[in-house]
Amino acid sequence: MAEAGSFHVPRFGVRERVKAFLNAELVNILAAILFLLLVIFLLYPILAVLIKSIKDPEGLTLSYYVKFFTKGYYFRSLTNTLLLGLINTVVCLITAFCLAYLTTRGPLLLRKPLKLVAMMPLIAPPYLFAISLIILFGHNGIMTKAFGIKWSLYGFTGVVIAQTLAFIPLAYLMIENTLRSLNPNLEESAYDLGASEIRIIRTITIPLLAPGILKAGLLVFVMTIAEFGNAAILGGRTPFLAPDTYTMIIGEADFEMGSVLSVILIIPCIIIFFLHNYMLTGKKFTTIGGKPVASEPRKMTPLVKIPFILISGTVGMAIVVSFGMVLLASFTRILGVNNELVLTHILNFDSNLAIYNSIKVSLIAAFIGAMVGTLLAYVIVRGKFFGRSFIEMISLSGFALPGTVIGIGYLLAFNAPPLKLTGGIMILALNSVFRFLAVGVEAGISKLHQINIEIEEASADLGANFMATFYKIVLPLMFPAFIAGFIYTFMTTLVSLSAVVFLVSPGFELAAVRIFDRAVYGEIGNASATTMKLVVIVIFCMVILNYITKKTGFDVSQKKGSVAV
Amino acid sequence: MKGKFIFTVAAAIFSLVFFVSQSPAQEIRAYMGLSPENNAKVVSFIKEKTGIQILQTFQSFGEIEAKVKSEAPNFNADMITGCGSPLAFMAKKNQWVVPYDSPAWKGVAPEFIDQDKYWFNISNFSFVLVGNKNKLQEKGYAMPKSWKELLDPKWKDQIVMSSPLSSGTANMIRFAFLALYGEEEGWKFLQALDKNIHHYTRSGNAPTDLVGRGEFLLGITSDENVKKRIDEGYPLIWSVPQEGIGYDGTFALIFKTTKKMAECKKVIDVMGTPEFSRMMAEIGYVTPRPAENKLYGKVTPKYIKLDLGYAAEMRPKWNDIWKEKFRTEFK
Amino acid sequence: MSSNHSVPMLMLRDIHKFYDHLEVLKGISLDVPKGELVTFVGPSGCGKTTLLRVIGGFTPFDSGEVILDGLRIDHLPPNLRDTRICFQNYALFPHMTVAENISYGLKIKKWKKNRVEERVEELLKLVKLEGLGGRMIDKLSGGQQQRVAVARALSLEPKVLLLDEPLSNLDANLRLTMRGEIRKLQERLKITTIFVTHDQFEAMSISDRIVVMKEGVIQQIGSPIEIYERPDNEFIASFVGYVNFLDGVVERVDIRPDMATASTPIGRIDFVPERNFNVGDKVKLVIRPETINISRSEPTTGDNVLQGEVEIGMYVGSLTKYTVQVKGERMIIDQANPRETGIFKENEKLYLTIPKNIHVLRKD
Repeated sequence: MAEAGSFHVPRFGVRERVKAFLNAELVNILAAILFLLLVIFLLYPILAVLIKSIKDPEGLTLSYYVKFFTKGYYFRSLTNTLLLGLINTVVCLITAFCLAYLTTRGPLLLRKPLKLVAMMPLIAPPYLFAISLIILFGHNGIMTKAFGIKWSLYGFTGVVIAQTLAFIPLAYLMIENTLRSLNPNLEESAYDLGASEIRIIRTITIPLLAPGILKAGLLVFVMTIAEFGNAAILGGRTPFLAPDTYTMIIGEADFEMGSVLSVILIIPCIIIFFLHNYMLTGKKFTTIGGKPVASEPRKMTPLVKIPFILISGTVGMAIVVSFGMVLLASFTRILGVNNELVLTHILNFDSNLAIYNSIKVSLIAAFIGAMVGTLLAYVIVRGKFFGRSFIEMISLSGFALPGTVIGIGYLLAFNAPPLKLTGGIMILALNSVFRFLAVGVEAGISKLHQINIEIEEASADLGANFMATFYKIVLPLMFPAFIAGFIYTFMTTLVSLSAVVFLVSPGFELAAVRIFDRAVYGEIGNASATTMKLVVIVIFCMVILNYITKKTGFDVSQKKGSVAV
Repeated sequence: MKGKFIFTVAAAIFSLVFFVSQSPAQEIRAYMGLSPENNAKVVSFIKEKTGIQILQTFQSFGEIEAKVKSEAPNFNADMITGCGSPLAFMAKKNQWVVPYDSPAWKGVAPEFIDQDKYWFNISNFSFVLVGNKNKLQEKGYAMPKSWKELLDPKWKDQIVMSSPLSSGTANMIRFAFLALYGEEEGWKFLQALDKNIHHYTRSGNAPTDLVGRGEFLLGITSDENVKKRIDEGYPLIWSVPQEGIGYDGTFALIFKTTKKMAECKKVIDVMGTPEFSRMMAEIGYVTPRPAENKLYGKVTPKYIKLDLGYAAEMRPKWNDIWKEKFRTEFK
Repeated sequence: MSSNHSVPMLMLRDIHKFYDHLEVLKGISLDVPKGELVTFVGPSGCGKTTLLRVIGGFTPFDSGEVILDGLRIDHLPPNLRDTRICFQNYALFPHMTVAENISYGLKIKKWKKNRVEERVEELLKLVKLEGLGGRMIDKLSGGQQQRVAVARALSLEPKVLLLDEPLSNLDANLRLTMRGEIRKLQERLKITTIFVTHDQFEAMSISDRIVVMKEGVIQQIGSPIEIYERPDNEFIASFVGYVNFLDGVVERVDIRPDMATASTPIGRIDFVPERNFNVGDKVKLVIRPETINISRSEPTTGDNVLQGEVEIGMYVGSLTKYTVQVKGERMIIDQANPRETGIFKENEKLYLTIPKNIHVLRKD
C-alpha cells in the first residue's frame, strides 16, 4: 500500500549497475578506444618521424634540415617532386573528367568499355606502367626500335607518363561518382535556358563537381608523390623525394635524412588536406548525398565530343596496351630479345608465398579497416562527446599522408618493445588499415546520416541494450559502408607499395614488393608474370565479393560508387 | 538476418586467415643477398638436404646491412645467409652474432671462415664488365679492354652500374678501384666514370639484365648471373679488363637472438659441404671447397689486391664522400 | 513491487527539462490511471513530444520523477522500462521483414521460438495483417507500416504505450479509420496509452482525457467535453475549435436562482455562473458558434435575444457559417441543418439567441 510520494527506487546490484553504466557509456568508451588506436597507429608514427628528423646523439638539432636546404641535390628532388605532383594531378583530373563525362553523359556504346578501361589500373600495381613503358619505349623497346625513336624514356617525362596512367582511375572513380550523383536535370535546364554544352560544363557541371574534383586532386597528388615504384624504375638519375627516402632508409640506414625527406614530403600534403577541408566545409554531403541518376545519352557537340573522345581514347589505348604488354611479357622468354613464347615465367611459383601473403594481409587489413571505419563513423555521428570533429579529422587524414612516411613511421615506432610489430604480419596490415580508413569512415558517416536515429531508439525501446542494437540494427544498416571500406582497403592494400616496402621481413614478403624488386632488378618476365597472377587473383576476389554481396541483396552498383568517396 | 550471415562469413574468413598464419618449426627466417634466383637455388638446396625452409625476401647486400643496423638488437630474422664483408665484420664486432664451431667447415681456407668462427664465407663473387653484343655491333664499338676505356665520352649515358650505397657489388667495385688506383686517383676515376653512367641501380645484378635486354651498351655488374643469362639467350659478352677485378665474400652468420639455434647450425653445416660448393661453383661463384667454376673455367681471373677489413672499416666514410660527390651539386 | 490499483499506472512529478537555458518542460505533474488513453495536445513547441520522450526514457530531464506502476523509472534506460514507443516515422527496421520487426523485442527477451511465432501471429491478427509476416517493410503501404509499428510496440505487452503523432503520415481518410482502430484496440486491450498529437479534433475523438500544453506548461487536463465546453482559459478555448469572445463586466449576481448578468459591447447577457462572480468582475464570455440560434422571427424563449445583420454566409453542406454584425461586433455563427431553417442572405436582418449556460472566464 504505497503512498504517493514515497515510491522506492528499485535497488540494483553491482552487476546491474556496471551493466547500466556500460550501456550508457559504451559509445564514449568505444570512442576512447578508437581515439587511442588513431593516436597509436596514425599520430605516433608520424611524430616518430618528426622527432627522428630533429634529433642527433647530442640532442635536438636542425642540422639535417640545413643540409637539405643547402644541397642542390635535395632541393632539386623537392622541386621535381612538387612539379611531378602538380603536372600529374592536373593531367589526371582533366583526363578523368573527360572519361567520367563520356561514361555518364556520352554515347551508350562507349560507356561500358571506357569505364572498364578506366578502372583497370586499379587492380594492378601502379608501376605496371613502368614495366610496359620499358618494354615499349626503353632504349631497346619495341616502339623505339620500330620507329627509331631518339627520346630517352628514363627521366622526368617517363615518370610523369607512368604515374599519370597509374592514377587516372583514382581520379576517375571519384569524379565519375560525383558526376553520377549530379542530377542531369540541372544541366538540362541550363541547356533549356540556351547555354551551349561548353558553357554548361564550365558553369554548371564543373562548379557542382568541385568537391569531388578537389578530393580527387588531393588523393592523386598524395599518391603521385608517395608511390615511388615508377620513379624508382624509370627515374634514372632524376631525383624525387619518395624514392630517395626509400634509398636512404632501405639502402643506407640513414634514418635522419630519410625522416627529413619524409617531413618535407608531408608538408604539401598537409597543406592541401587543410585547404581541401576548408573549401569543403558545409559542402561535405552534397557530393555523396544525391542518388545516382542514369543520364540519357546526350547529343554532344563535336566541339566537346571530339577532344573528349580523343583524350579518353588515347589514355584508354595506353592502358590497354600496357596491360597487353605485361601479359605478353609474362608469356615470352625475353620480350624484345628472344620472343619465343614460353610458360617458364608463369610456371615459376617462387612468388606463391608472396601472393598468398598479399591476399592474407589485404583481407586482414580490409576487415579491420572496414570495422574500425564503421565504428569510427558511428561514434563521430552518434557520439556526444567533446572533440568529435577532431577524431573525424584525424581519421580522414590518413589518405593525405604519403605511404612512404607512414611506412617509415611504423618502422621507427614499432621496432622495439613494448610495441614491437616489425618482422610480423600485422604491421603490414595495420599501416593499410589506417592509411585507407577515410573511405570506410566517409561512407559510414553518409550512411548514418540517412538512418533515422529513431530506428535505434525503437530498438532500445523494445528492450535491446546498446550492444544488441548496434549488432542487430546499426551494423546491418551500415553494411554497404562496411563493404565500401572493405573493398577499397582490400584493393589498395593488395597493390600498394610505398608503405609496406619498409615493413616486409623474411617470410612476410608481399607480391607488390616482390614485383617491384624484380622490375627494378630488370627481370621483366618474372615481374610481369607475377603481376598477371596478382591481377587474376584480384579479379577473382572481386567476383567472389560481388557474389556474396549480391547473394545477400545489397546493391553492388551503389557500393562501387561509394568506393570512390 | 542478411547482415548476420555476411558477418559470420566475414568473421570466418578472417579467423581462418588469421590463425593459419602460425609458422611451423621447420622454418627459419634469413637475410639473403644473392641474386633472387640464386637465393632460390640455395633455399631449395638447404630444404632438400635438411628439410628446413628458409624464408627470405630479396635484398641487396647494402640493404641487408641497413636493415640489420636499424633493427639491432631486435632482429627480425634468425640468421644471415648472404651479406657482404662490411656487415659480417660489423656484426662480429658488435656481438650481434654468435660463433659456431662447425665440424662441416673443418679444413676450409682461412679467407672463407672467421678464425673465431663468427662468420662463414659461402662463396666469393666478383664484378665483371658486360656488354650487349648486338648493340655494340650496331654501333661498331669494340668491348673495352681496360677500365680506363670506359671514360671515353662515346659511352656517355650508355653504362650502368649499381649504387655502392645499396649494393654490395658496387661497394666492392668502389673499393677495388680505390685499391687499384690509390684513394685520391681512385675517386678521380669514379668521378670521371660518373659522367658516362646513365644511372646507379639498386642491386648489383641489375646491370646484367639491363644490358642483356639492350637498354644499355655496357654494365659493370656482379658475376653471379652472367653465365645464367648467357645460357638463357641474352646477347651478352663479358670480360675481365686487363687491370683485373675485385672480389668480396658472401657471408653467413647466426643472430644471437634466434630461437632456432639448432636449425641455423644445420644450415651452416650444409653450407660447408663440398656438395654445396659444387652447386655454387656451377652458378659461377668461387667456393670454400675447391670446385670447377662454370664461369671462369680453370683459369683464375686476375684479381686486384684488396684488404677487405680496411674496406669494411672505411665504408661509412666512403659512403659520405660518395654522397658528397654525387649527390650535392646543382646541375 | 507494489502493484496497486489505487495507484495510477503512470505518475509524473514536477518534471523540469532545460535545453541549454530554455526551459521546455516547466514542472509537469500528471497521473494516468490504468487503462486510460490520454492525449497530449498543443501547438508545436509546446513540449508534448519531449514529455513523451521523457516517459520513454529517450530524453534525460533535469528534475522530477517518473513513476510507472509504483516504481520510479526515471533513472532507467529505455530498454529496461516497461513502456513502448511508436514513433512518428514508425522507425521500422528496413532490413527486416514484418515478422522480424514484430518479434525483435521478443527475441531480445529470449522468448522460445514457438512462443515467438505464436505471438507474432496473434499480433498480426490483432492489427489485421495476417499473412504479411514475410513481407519486407518497404513493400508495405503507409497504413500497413503504421500497423506493424503498433504491433511491434504491443509485442511485449507494455504497461504504457506511447504513440508519437502516429497518424500524421497518413492521408485524411486512412487517418480516420486508423484512429478508430487504435481506439478500439486500446479499449480492448485496456492498455494505458499516451497519445501525442497536434490535431485537436483527433485528440477530442480518441481520448479519455486530454492534456492541453503550451510552452512547457499543462494548461488543462480534462475529458474532451470539459476541454471543449469549459476551457480554463482563452488559449484552450481558442485552440479547440472556433470561439466568439465577448469582453464584459459583471453587473448583477443573483443567488437564487443562480444567475448573473454581464454588460458587453452587444448588450446585456444573462448567464448561469459556474463559479462565484462578484459585481464589477471583468469577464470574458466564451460563445461557441454552434450554440447560437438564429431565426427570422423574434424567438420567445427566456434566453438572450439580440438583433443582427448577416455580413457573409458560407454554405458548407452540413452547416452554414455566418458572419453576423451585432452592434458593431462580429460574431461567427454555425447554423446546423441549413435546409430546414432556410439560408439567410447577405444584409438580411435576423434574431440571435445566446443560451444562458455559456462558459464565462474571469479576466485577470
